[in-house]
Amino acid sequence: MPIKPEDALRAIAAVRGDAICVPTMTTAPAWRTIAPDDLSATCVGFMGGASSLGLGLALARPERRVLVFDGDGSLLMQLGALATNAGARARNFVHFLFKNGVYHTSGAQAVPGLDVDFGLMAKGAGYRRTYAIHELEELKRRLPALLTEEGPLFVELSTGLADKTPMQDRSGRPFHEQIGTLRGRLKGTPRGG
Amino acid sequence: MPDSIPAPLIIDTLKDVFREARAALAAEGWPAPPHPWLGWILSVPDTHQKTVLAALDKEEAIRVLTCATEDEANAVAAGLWAGGEPCVLMIQHAGLYASVNTLRGVAMDGRVPVFAMIGLLSRERDKDPRESRHSMVRYCEPLLDTFGVPHARLEGPDDVHRIGEYYRLAQQRRGPAAVLVGLETS
Repeated sequence: MPIKPEDALRAIAAVRGDAICVPTMTTAPAWRTIAPDDLSATCVGFMGGASSLGLGLALARPERRVLVFDGDGSLLMQLGALATNAGARARNFVHFLFKNGVYHTSGAQAVPGLDVDFGLMAKGAGYRRTYAIHELEELKRRLPALLTEEGPLFVELSTGLADKTPMQDRSGRPFHEQIGTLRGRLKGTPRGG
Repeated sequence: MPDSIPAPLIIDTLKDVFREARAALAAEGWPAPPHPWLGWILSVPDTHQKTVLAALDKEEAIRVLTCATEDEANAVAAGLWAGGEPCVLMIQHAGLYASVNTLRGVAMDGRVPVFAMIGLLSRERDKDPRESRHSMVRYCEPLLDTFGVPHARLEGPDDVHRIGEYYRLAQQRRGPAAVLVGLETS
């Protein structure tokens, strides 16, 4: 049984601490309800850019964990990012992939390919470790390690469809407000390496 | 006539730009960074600026991150900016064309100050870029104009001050700005 995306996000939110989070597409509506704080910035308006945005944050703020909540359709738009992310060797970078097999927002059309093995791709690109998680309990069990283990890490989650897409819930703030707020929050916090 | 710009001059200019950016961040209240480098170059390697990229390989004061695409470079720049790190993109005109949606989404709508040095590969020495017989040269400035991106030409060593000027402009307007590297760097 696929993991409900909202359940995965709730499990992550429960243990994330002060991690910066970067949701995109169908993880965005649920995340802003589950974690309505100013330590997140949604990749909206440049589909495929979530992991790159997260990488920049991870490189700038190595003292914090950065958690990206990517989608399979999104990642396929910027697949080269796997190589860039791995090559940057950000130890605090965790790339979650919510794999539902479809472009949910645009009507749930199937993504290209034949059940693409993204974990294998990430491993080949050079991520330090990759995981494929199919059950919520396994995610909960592994989360403490995923938040402390040296990255870059890639975590493929087999998920079902989210309750809401960004087209069904347009209540999110625009990207410029989110990124500006996050920057203001980070400005006031000590930096470490 | 345009003239080639030596790589060491560009790198010294970038260092000055990053030093000034660090001072501005400190004045804004950002804590000092825990690392020694001045700033970041986000590069999708550009033939036109290859001597600069080669020299940067030996440069410890500037970190270089090679990205697979210009889309990535724009989004990484947003993350670095939000985290208080200065950066400059070094790309080619073809990469500008390839990444216009991310330029729009990140730098324009996202109001992130993304400054780019864009190489005009194949620009003819004796022609204005807008009259080039190569479409990738000819359309660069009109594209930037269409998107409202301020830009200036680096036509020789006397123009390197434009790098700092347009970097600051990007910060001030919280949006994109660019300089166009006219001839291959030396």
